[in-house]
Amino acid sequence: MPGLQMSGALPRRKWRRKRETVSQAPFARGINFRTRHLMQDLRTLMPHSKADTKMDRKDKLFVINEVCEMKNCNKCIYFEAKKKQDLYMWLSNSPHGPSAKFLVQNIHTLAELKMTGNCLKGSRPLLSFDPVFDELPHYALLKELLIQIFSTPRYHPKSQPFVDHVFTFTILDNRIWFRNFQIIEEDAALIEIGPRFVLNLIKIFQGSFGGPTLYENPHYQSPNMHRRIIRSISAAKYKEKQQVKEVQKVRKKEPKTLVPHDPTADVFVTPAEEKPIEIQWVKPEPKVDLKARKKRIYKRQRKIKQKMDSGKTK
Amino acid sequence: GSDSDSDNSLVTDRELQDAFSRGLLKPGLNVVLEGPKKAVNDVNGLKQCLAEFKRDLEWVERLDMTLGPVPAISGSEVPTSQNKAQRAVNPEDDFQREISFYRQAQAAVLAVLPRLHQLKIPTKRPTDYFAEMAKSDQQMQKIRQKLQTKQAAMEKSEKAKQLRALRKYGKKVQTEVLQKRQQEKAHMMNAIKKYQKGFSDKLDFIEGDQKPISRDKKAGAKGQQVKKRLGVLGCWSALHSAKRRYKNQKFGFGGKKKGLKWNTRESYDDVSSFRAKTAHGRGLKRPGKRGSNVSEQGAQKRPGKRTREKMRNRT
Repeated sequence: MPGLQMSGALPRRKWRRKRETVSQAPFARGINFRTRHLMQDLRTLMPHSKADTKMDRKDKLFVINEVCEMKNCNKCIYFEAKKKQDLYMWLSNSPHGPSAKFLVQNIHTLAELKMTGNCLKGSRPLLSFDPVFDELPHYALLKELLIQIFSTPRYHPKSQPFVDHVFTFTILDNRIWFRNFQIIEEDAALIEIGPRFVLNLIKIFQGSFGGPTLYENPHYQSPNMHRRIIRSISAAKYKEKQQVKEVQKVRKKEPKTLVPHDPTADVFVTPAEEKPIEIQWVKPEPKVDLKARKKRIYKRQRKIKQKMDSGKTK
Repeated sequence: GSDSDSDNSLVTDRELQDAFSRGLLKPGLNVVLEGPKKAVNDVNGLKQCLAEFKRDLEWVERLDMTLGPVPAISGSEVPTSQNKAQRAVNPEDDFQREISFYRQAQAAVLAVLPRLHQLKIPTKRPTDYFAEMAKSDQQMQKIRQKLQTKQAAMEKSEKAKQLRALRKYGKKVQTEVLQKRQQEKAHMMNAIKKYQKGFSDKLDFIEGDQKPISRDKKAGAKGQQVKKRLGVLGCWSALHSAKRRYKNQKFGFGGKKKGLKWNTRESYDDVSSFRAKTAHGRGLKRPGKRGSNVSEQGAQKRPGKRTREKMRNRT
């Protein structure tokens, strides 16, 4: 492989990933299979990364900084799963730099059969950003952070010298969408390799895993709140129905006001003519109920048939 | 219903009285609402932080590109304001969204490739370079299989659809053609019958019926078509072909055929079925039936006894 000189800018940048779970509690883990696969996929795509073990929930977040220093890394991606449903991701620049917390949604891993592309393991990626990243200061900060994390250093020992895939970061609907495409032809024909996910920014902190808040996303709604709202909508519907019913009940029980009899109302009332009294001396014919008759006939037939069948089998 | 936060414990009576005297309180249930939550946006702090931790690496190390998506091929030069409106991709529309991501990646690739070539960074893997891929071969095999089955299923359904449509259409066409043929045949037969029975001594039906059976234009046109189709062949076969005449005589209409007298004067005088060659034993064209030797090569066969005696007596 050409160019294996260790240039000055070399292994200063290494990244690391961790996951969190309740290691001591007897109930189930916080991380599900999809998250685990996502982490594995990111490790495959970033040869400059080192994985770390699960962390105990009891420890505070700044412990991560120490672990980073021990492993000689200066960036960190930290995954955190809550309630077995929500996945949060921290991106941070380890010793003093800024960090950001995201909610991760719409995860699709490398192993999905719809992602048909493939790339060299450890090849350097091309990073493509939306122009919106340059417009707002918090996006500019995020862009720098993402560049420093996701780009593979040149001449890294585990990297391949080719550039054959591209990461896209796009801003849509106040979220960051991540896609990974393989470059097939020189005329920019692309196939998706995967994985893909969506990052919903929550907060940017000045320090690593702590420190004063630099930015808070006003469009962010915590997944709990989201679920709560959905539930309250359906609950509100039910409540409204109940309320209406109650009101009706109360109204029925109210004493009705008696309206005095109005003599003028009877003016146009004419009593009906008197009919002659008819006495039936003969019993009327029984009405023929066709349906009942049919049913009887059918039942009889069935019985006969059953008898014959049972006779045959005997 | 409206959810109202009832945090009125925070507001003291004194304050309420003040507000009332100033006329700020209105009748009804007054609640303390929180103002809209102010999100922290420390722009200066952000910029400072960015300046601090930003690293000025060479572009080669970072390989980043910030570009909008490739414009659609159909769109021509549009002013920038329209461009922005166009760029507002609907995030709910999956296809549009993915296409915009794809085009953004394309734009980046197209912009970067020349630079990479300048810097002598390879983008194409040589064919003899074998290295581990991000997805294992097994995985790629699975993917290929899935694609194949999908394709096969699609083709099958397409074929089935086409077959169904074809069958329907074919059936329709078949019935039409049969009916048409039947009609033409009936038409022709009627006309021939009439001619044979002597009701009309004109052979107009061959050229196309002038006396229409149904008096609309379509029938007339059909007559023309019939004429065209039958044309010369029909005319010939109806009148001149010996085979036709024989068959007409034997199987055609017009009187009793079997049980007629045979040895009448007319039948005796009728020498039309005399073939000289057959009578003299020549002209048989069936190979292999004339014995083993094929010595008769256009030459005559050895004449019979009587003919030989005659020849002898002549000379």
